[in-house]
This record gives sequence, structure tokens and C-alpha cells, in this order.
Amino acid sequence: MQVLIQLLITGIAMGFIYALVAIEYTIIWNATGLLNFSHDKFILFGAYMFAGTYVLSLGLPPVIAVLCTIITMFLFGIVSAFVIFNPLSRLSTNLFAVIGTVILGRIITEAVRLIWGPLPFSLDGFLKGSYKIGSVVVSRSHVIIILVCTLITVSLQLFFKFTKTGKAMRCVSENKTAASLMGVNVSINIALTVGISAVICAIIGILVVPIFNVELQMSSMIGLKGFASGVIGGFGHLPGAILGGILLGVVEIFGSMIIPSVYKDCLSFILLIIFLLIKPSGLLRDRK
Amino acid sequence: MKKQNKTLIIALICIGIAAILPLFISNNYHLNLMIQVLINIIIVLGLNFITGLTGQMNLGTAGIFSMGAYTSALVATKSGVNPWICLILAAVMGIIIGVGLGYPSLRVSGVYLALTTIGFSEIVRVLMTNLTDLTGGALGVNNIPVFSIFGHEFRENKEIYYLYLVIALLLIFNAYRIVNSKWGRSFLAIKDNPEAINASGVNIAKLRIMAFTLTAVYSTIAGSLYAHYVGFMNPSAYNIEFSINYVVMLVIGGIGSVAGNIAGAILVTIVPELLRFIENYYWLVFSIITLLFVIFLPNGMLSLFNKKKSMKK
Amino acid sequence: MENNKESKTILELKNVTKRFAGLVAVKDLSLKMKERTIHSLIGPNGAGKSTVINMITGLLPLTDGEIYHRDTKISGMKAYQIAQTRCSRTFQNLKLYRSMTVKENIMTGMMMDMHQGFLPFMFDFKKARQEDKAMNEKADLILKFIGLQELSNEYPANMPYGKQKLTELARSLMLEPSLLFLDEPAAGLNPSERVEFVDIIMKVFESGIDIFLIEHNMDVIMNISDDITVINFGSKIAEGTPEQIQEDPLVIEAYLGDRYKKEHGKGGRKCLK
Repeated sequence: MQVLIQLLITGIAMGFIYALVAIEYTIIWNATGLLNFSHDKFILFGAYMFAGTYVLSLGLPPVIAVLCTIITMFLFGIVSAFVIFNPLSRLSTNLFAVIGTVILGRIITEAVRLIWGPLPFSLDGFLKGSYKIGSVVVSRSHVIIILVCTLITVSLQLFFKFTKTGKAMRCVSENKTAASLMGVNVSINIALTVGISAVICAIIGILVVPIFNVELQMSSMIGLKGFASGVIGGFGHLPGAILGGILLGVVEIFGSMIIPSVYKDCLSFILLIIFLLIKPSGLLRDRK
Repeated sequence: MKKQNKTLIIALICIGIAAILPLFISNNYHLNLMIQVLINIIIVLGLNFITGLTGQMNLGTAGIFSMGAYTSALVATKSGVNPWICLILAAVMGIIIGVGLGYPSLRVSGVYLALTTIGFSEIVRVLMTNLTDLTGGALGVNNIPVFSIFGHEFRENKEIYYLYLVIALLLIFNAYRIVNSKWGRSFLAIKDNPEAINASGVNIAKLRIMAFTLTAVYSTIAGSLYAHYVGFMNPSAYNIEFSINYVVMLVIGGIGSVAGNIAGAILVTIVPELLRFIENYYWLVFSIITLLFVIFLPNGMLSLFNKKKSMKK
Repeated sequence: MENNKESKTILELKNVTKRFAGLVAVKDLSLKMKERTIHSLIGPNGAGKSTVINMITGLLPLTDGEIYHRDTKISGMKAYQIAQTRCSRTFQNLKLYRSMTVKENIMTGMMMDMHQGFLPFMFDFKKARQEDKAMNEKADLILKFIGLQELSNEYPANMPYGKQKLTELARSLMLEPSLLFLDEPAAGLNPSERVEFVDIIMKVFESGIDIFLIEHNMDVIMNISDDITVINFGSKIAEGTPEQIQEDPLVIEAYLGDRYKKEHGKGGRKCLK
């Protein structure tokens, strides 16, 4: 029983990570109609910046390092929105946007490799340790992941519902032309969205530092599974993204009890295909 | 008609150059590079069908290519079947992948193909690495036999080059025929305006799946050619970066046109060798150039020469 | 026009309703279109005209009701299947293929009548060449019919709007439709282009194709229609010949306005001839 609960918590924690990934690209998708294929590289960049520069090189305490990472990534998001996302969203077909973001991902990876080197490293002692509740042992990083993710999800919802900027962003996602006619500056909105998305990516990157080593391939699987959970929950739908992510995380962790764990990654792909075949609109979304 | 003659003349000149070039090259390394160019041309031509014409992103070239290569290599090494039959089996594998992966991903409109192909690629890599009994795991498959015609084995690089040149020319010709036929036009129509082609009584989903199947067949054939040429296969190189390289070739050369595809494949394969001196920065520089291409010259290099087809939004 | 009453129904809408998340765009609409007629659907902006045409051609699913093309139930079919029952259409906002020439644009219109698979095209079989030739000939014929032969190698973006509209019409004719839907064909055209377009529509009609028309321009409508259905806020408010419609008090109030009646005496296709 304890094992089951422990597994469930691990699954939910991983699920929340996938859900965050899904949220992070969904808000860009809603704002620009582009799918950010470089999002896993954003995560990678965030993790390297946090672990490599702010903690290891500059020796900042984790809290300040987290803040610095968030600010830097926000700026990075804004800049890449103006330089890349805005021009791409104006091109005639979506295809070039896909290609453009894929290439952007390649650029980030190369930059990361050149700046921090190709060798993997890890951050000792960061979010390590575990809590014991009754007879259930829960790792500290998993608890933090669940807490932080819930916090982000809730505050994003509040942001979109109650602040003026958030409302304007929802307008842009509904109808770009109408929003710009109503006096919403679409470019700045897109930039803000990409900035927020980059911040979420950075947080994901920081959260997975204790789980994986910091290396160039650390985030590619997370990125892919985030996509899968978006499709499972309903593309472009925030609550669906969260549900899909958690479902994927739990299925994966219990699935790996049945099949050898090296094939664990295949499960998300199989789930993705099943959903595309049976219910391409996802769990929570009606067909338009 | 005049335009066709001009195309024919240019094509013949290019074939002539391709045919006599090896006579002046004795360096084995350069010959290897040229064979690699031929294989890349085949892959990019294939990618052009789904990505260049119908506008659906395929990021699974690595997976499809290695499925082709492994199919060919495993059948050849385990059962000793003639490599030519293995090549055909690889093409059949392409059809299976094309329909099997295309059906769930392309039935509904959206960017799903990009997602499923990335996933497929990763799964293939995981399976190739871990199904040790079948694929030899990370060590891979060794001693893959070479092609032979009437008992003559193609072992020398020069011989392989000419053999593959013939195959590549056949495939280029086929691609040219398809791109400039009703098929190419309707693929392109799907990218330009799916609703309109739908209203003309065309089943978009079916057409997209057909285009993707063509892509897969071209890639698996290229995989098979590659396997029988290098003689060994291991899964390590076939990751997403591998797939992106071909997208880069497609964009740099020119989306949608056969000549552009060929130019892109040649350029992106050869230029790294010329730019050896920037070594570490090579991919960074090249990626930035590609990104600039996507933003400022989305129809590739060839659109510089082909001013008439200005396609602004 | 009276003798047309006994002729067959080519298109029938039965209680068609469309809801968009709470908003009722089309409400309980029924209409019958007779064979060998030009039938117009008119109404003020936002009355749901384009929604109706999009539902008939399968771009939008129906919320309720049924649509028949001759004896085939086409509601619930996919857009391409409906097109295969020989219904073709043009679009209000042009949907041409930017990267293709006029002729190539037109040739995609007959894709479904071309049955050769990939293999002939790959290996240059005789069949593929024959098919290619047939396709080219048909495209040339229609280009000539529409009067676009000089522009066949031009790209749509380089042509005036009127010619682009004609290109789209030509593409829809490649399907050899028995029923043709025109979504605001005269919108955005200057007066001389409009006259040209009306002539071509009449030519198309006389070649044996029945036409269902959505139009804003009253001159066009009254001159060429046999029957008119008027809708407002998604419901039918009147139906009949142009003469009847022009005198219908409801229509005048909702749509035409008093001024219209004073300026235009009698309508109907007879006047044009």
C-alpha cells in the first residue's frame, strides 16, 4: 500500500511537470497560433542558467538564483518574441513557424553547449532529502514540484481572469484582429505571453534539476510528453492540459511496474496515438 | 515547351557533372561525402512531399530512416537474403510506417504529425537500443552485405557512387514527375487552401497520408542504401538533431521544388566540410542563417532566381 | 416561370438549424430549389446566408435538420463527399492557391475525376500522359469559356480582383457540377466587371448548370434569379419570384427599403433579355 501511495505521488509530481509544459506551450499557442517547438530547449536553457551560472559559478543561494533565472528567462522570452515569434506569426503558412521554432531550439542547444560545455553535471544537495508521513516516504523534490505547480496553475488562472493584462491576452487568443482594433497591442501581448511561457519553462527546468542530471538531452522527453498531455487533455485548453499531464504521469509510473522501465517512454507515445485515433479532440474539449 | 527544354538542358549538365566528378577525385573521404550527398538528396526529396508540399511538419526522419536501414540490415544479415530484396522490404516498411503513422496523425487537421513523428523517432531509438537480441543494441548491426549485380559486388566507393547515382536519378525523376503532376498540385493546394481543395471533392486526409507515405518510402529507401553502403548500423546518431538537419536542407534549398531540394541537400552536406575552421560554432552559425532564411526568405535560395513566383501574404 | 412549378426539386433544405454556442445563426429554414433555375438567397448582413451555404457544402455541421441534393441526403456527409455529388462552390473570400498559376489552380478542380494513382506518374506510363492531356484540354476549354485564356500562366496575386473571382468560378466548373453555389459573386467588383460576371453566370446557367446564389447586389439578383428566398436573423421571411419579392411588404421593410421600389420598376430575367 505504501508503495502504491509513493508511486502515486511520484506519478502526480511528474504529471504536474508535464502539465506545466502543456500549459507553457498552450498559452503561446493561444496567443500566436504557433506551437513552440523549442520549448524543451527553453527548459534546458533555464536549467543550465540556474544550475550552471547562478548556483555553481556565481555561488548565489538557491532562492536568489531562482529569482535571477526567472528574470533572465523572462527577458529572453520577450526578446525572442520580438525577434522570432512575431515575424513568424505573420508568415503565410504555419509551416514556417514550426520550422522557425525548431531551428530556434537548435540555436539554443548549440549556445548551451558552447557556453556550459557538453559534459553533464548535477547540483548536489539542491532539493534533496525526503519527508516521512506515517509510513510513506515522499521525496522532497516531488512535494516541492506539486506545490509549485499548483501555485503556478492557480496564479495563472487568476491572472487571466482578473488582471487587465490577462484579459487582454485572452482577447488576443480569441481574435487577433478584433483585439488590435479594440486597442490591444498584439505584439506586446504576444511578447508578454512568450515571456511568461519562458518563465514557466525556467521553473520547470529548475524543478527537474534534482530529478535528472543537467545535460543536453535532459528536457527532450519532457517536452514531448508535455505535447502528448496537451493532446490528451484537449489541444489549446488549459484545464485539459493539466488533467492530461497528470493522467500521463500516473499512467507512466504504474505502467513502468508492468513493462521494463526502459520502455516507459513509449507509453506516452502509445497514449498519444490512442487519443488521436479515438478522441482527437481530447478529454475536455468539445469539437468546434 | 521552351521552358521544358531549358530544364532538360540544365538537368543534363548537372547529371554530366555528377557523372564525371568522381574521375577527378581520388580522396576516399570526398567520395564518401558525395555518396552521403546522394543519400541526403533522396531523403530531402521525400521530405518535400509532406513538408514542402502539403505543409505538414515531419520531424521523424531519423526514426523512419533508421527503420529502413535496420529492416534492410537485419534481414540481410540474419537471413542472408539478397540486398536488393532487402531494399524492396525497406520500401514496404516505408509504406507501413506512412500509413500506420499517417492515419492517426493526418486524419484531423493540426500539427499532430510533428508531434507523433518526434515521438515515433524517439520510440524507434529506444527500441533499437534496448531490443538487444534483435538489433544488437547500442553495438548495432555489423557486416551488412553490399549490393551486387550479376555477381559483381559494389565494394569500391566509386562503384557505389555510380550505382547510387543511378538510383538517385531515378528517384529524382520520379519526384519531379509527382511534384509537377496533379498529385503535386493537389498536395500544394492542401497547404495553400485546404477548404478549397476539399470543396473540389478531394479527401484531404487521404491525400496527406499518401504524401506522408511517399515521404516514408523515400526515407526508408535512403536508409537501406545507407546501411548497405557503410556496412554497420547503430542507433546512437538517429535523434531529433538528425531529423532537423533535413528540415534545414529543405528550407535552405527551397520548399516545394525538386531543384531546390537537391541544391539544399548538396549545400548543407558539403558546406560543413568547407567551414571546418569554425568547427564548434558551425551549427550555431548555420542554424542562425537558417532561421534568417525562414523569416526573410521562406521559399529558399531558389526563390532568388525565380522572381516571378513572389508569394507574399 | 409558372411552368417551372412541376419540375423536379434539385436541392431541398428541411428545417435546418444552426447554433453557435448559444447564438442561433439559422433557424428552422426550409427551402426547395427547382431544377433548371437560378435560385437566390438574400438577406441583410449577418442574416446567416453564408452559414447556409457553408452548411449545404459541408464546411459547417448542421445542428438540426436535413439537406437533400436530388435524392441524396447530403447533410452529415463530409465536404469532399458532397462535392462528389457534383455540387461545387465559390467562396466569398477568395480561396485560390497562391503558389500556382491560373491554369494550375483550375486543374486542381478536377482532381476527383482523375483516377490514375502514383505509379503511372512515377514511371511515365501512357495512361498518365493521356490523363494529363485530357486535364489540360479541359482546363483550356474552361479558360476559354470563362475568357481567361490569356492569363492562364499568371499568378492569382498579380491579377485584378475580378479576374481572381473568375478563376475561382472556373475552378468550380472543372468539377462538372450539376449544382453550383456562388457565394456573393459580385461583391467587390466594379460595375463593368459586374456586368461581365453576370453574363458569364448566365452563360454557365445556359450550359446546363443550376445555380444557387447568395448576393447582396439587388440589380444582379433581380435580373438573373428565377426564385428568391429572403432570410433575416436566420429565418425565412419571404419566398417567390423577383416580382413577388419586390412587392412583399416584409421584405421591403426588412431589407429593400422604400427607396428601392421607387427606383426599380419591374425585375426578372425577362427584362435582361
